[in-house]
Amino acid sequence: MSNKVLVYVEINNNKIEKVSKEIIAKASESFVNSEVNAVLISDENTYEHVYNELCGLNISKLYVIVDKLFDSYNTCLFSDVLSNFLRENTPDIFLIGATTNGRDLAPRTASNLDIGLTADCTDLQIDENGNLLATRPTYGGKLLATIVSRTKPNFATVRSGAFACTDLNSDKEPEIIKINPNVNNIDALFQVISCKPKPQAEDWTCAEIIVSGGLGLNSKDNFDLIYKLSELIGAKPAATRAAVELGWAPESIQVGQTGSSVSPKLYLAFGISGAMQHMVGISNADKIIAINTNTNAPIMSQSDIAIVADAAAVLKDMIEKLSVKSKQAHL
Amino acid sequence: MTFKIIVCVKQVPDTADIKWTEHNTINREGLDSIINPYDLGAIKLAQNFKLMLSRRLSNIEIIAVTMGPPQAQDVLKKAISLGCDGAYMLSDKKFACADTLATAYTLSQFVHIKVPDYKLIICGQQAIDGDTAQTPSSMAEKLGIRQITNVIGIKEVNEAYSIWSTDTTDSYQEIKSGYPLLVATKLKDLDLLPNINGYIKAHNTKIEILSAEDLALDSNKIGLKGSPTKVKTAFRPNYQKNTLVIDNQSNADCADFILGEIEKCRINNEQ
Repeated sequence: MSNKVLVYVEINNNKIEKVSKEIIAKASESFVNSEVNAVLISDENTYEHVYNELCGLNISKLYVIVDKLFDSYNTCLFSDVLSNFLRENTPDIFLIGATTNGRDLAPRTASNLDIGLTADCTDLQIDENGNLLATRPTYGGKLLATIVSRTKPNFATVRSGAFACTDLNSDKEPEIIKINPNVNNIDALFQVISCKPKPQAEDWTCAEIIVSGGLGLNSKDNFDLIYKLSELIGAKPAATRAAVELGWAPESIQVGQTGSSVSPKLYLAFGISGAMQHMVGISNADKIIAINTNTNAPIMSQSDIAIVADAAAVLKDMIEKLSVKSKQAHL
Repeated sequence: MTFKIIVCVKQVPDTADIKWTEHNTINREGLDSIINPYDLGAIKLAQNFKLMLSRRLSNIEIIAVTMGPPQAQDVLKKAISLGCDGAYMLSDKKFACADTLATAYTLSQFVHIKVPDYKLIICGQQAIDGDTAQTPSSMAEKLGIRQITNVIGIKEVNEAYSIWSTDTTDSYQEIKSGYPLLVATKLKDLDLLPNINGYIKAHNTKIEILSAEDLALDSNKIGLKGSPTKVKTAFRPNYQKNTLVIDNQSNADCADFILGEIEKCRINNEQ
């Protein structure tokens, strides 16, 4: 018997959200006896823009719910349409990326269908009966809970970066099923009157090497060395919540429970103590090297290599060595 | 007619100060209970809304509601001391172990029965213990009303509609909506402090306690019985590794070592 897994594909700026792909990759790889399908709510124009990307998703069926009203996200509209769709095509498991819109859409949809929902999962497994075991951090990342639901579909939102950004690049053409729903209940009293897009943050969470800084760097000037080193070695900079709260770095590069989850090959932690809420975001890193003067900091026993040294001083030395090297290369 | 605003609040354990039992479960004894910081943001927003609308209307009432064990009354006292005009406590053993769906059902029934003429509901976007951010949206659906999440401020207010500022991952928006409406805020107003009059008001206000029966609730939809999700296992994450510790090296040697590791990582990737 095969389990039907349905993934909600979110589109932003004519691109498929990274987390949607991460979920499909995870489901395809590790859910046994499962058929992975996807559903998309979009207008015709957007659909055409992402058509090629959709065809490479490594899914069996793609349900496209189209209407001109779906050109931008609208909670009530999307939730009604999605709920109606799920009533008629009930999968065993339904997964949505825990993006801003995903976290807005999923609970409303679950409530409409009177089904359970597990939020912001960082791990997904299937038990021997095909039920979803959804694991999520709680109590600020201090406790992990594995949650089961007795209603179908088993429904969860999944945290971005919880699973590796595998390149799906499949040549398996999905069967495309287009659905034109009845939509006429557009709410005249609800209207987005202005929308200022934030500068498109470059997607740094998939970087192979991440250079991250925390409170132990002692100043914003020292934190700036994180950017400098990242640039020199072609890595991406990141920060702890404490560093962000002090204004040393923007929220967009925060790693941890309230920031992003990352899974780089190498994570360099400069002056980071390793609070639980930070570690939950880097637990999938292949290798963690921590540089800290405090041998008692939790990260010093939770990394692969712990270097007892002044983080800022080591950063300065690394930058200097790299600069000398590049000068020599130019001679 | 009175313009009624409902603010939902929750008592949560102070997650910054969690202590563990020897079995790696949370030690609830001696754990400080606080009002969910996002709910302070919701109270602050309700105060601002009332202030803005009071230029046009004189009868505006902010009603706080919480669901929880009897001791959760503390958060309602706090809400009143911070400017809420009245408060309801939903407390019944039958509510215990409710997940977000059962909680949303219970709260929405409360609204139907006790404050059916409400215009606005303001919630903190999430509670710091569960962090799910599900109850507000789930409740809006149960009530069949509009919702705006990720709210960070109020732009414009009148009797017919209001305009709210939101902050999401990729944009700042201004959203206009009529009533009834539910908004969920991601503001955390930790500095909100009551004044003396607030304390006196909190002391003198009688809080009505409501049971499952008072709210004519379907017993299959509340508490443990009405909760489709359940925690199968809970465990403390263990990130301990067999760490190689490098000590007593010069900064320059440390720098060389890390640069070597970066090089190794690059070579492995190319292979």
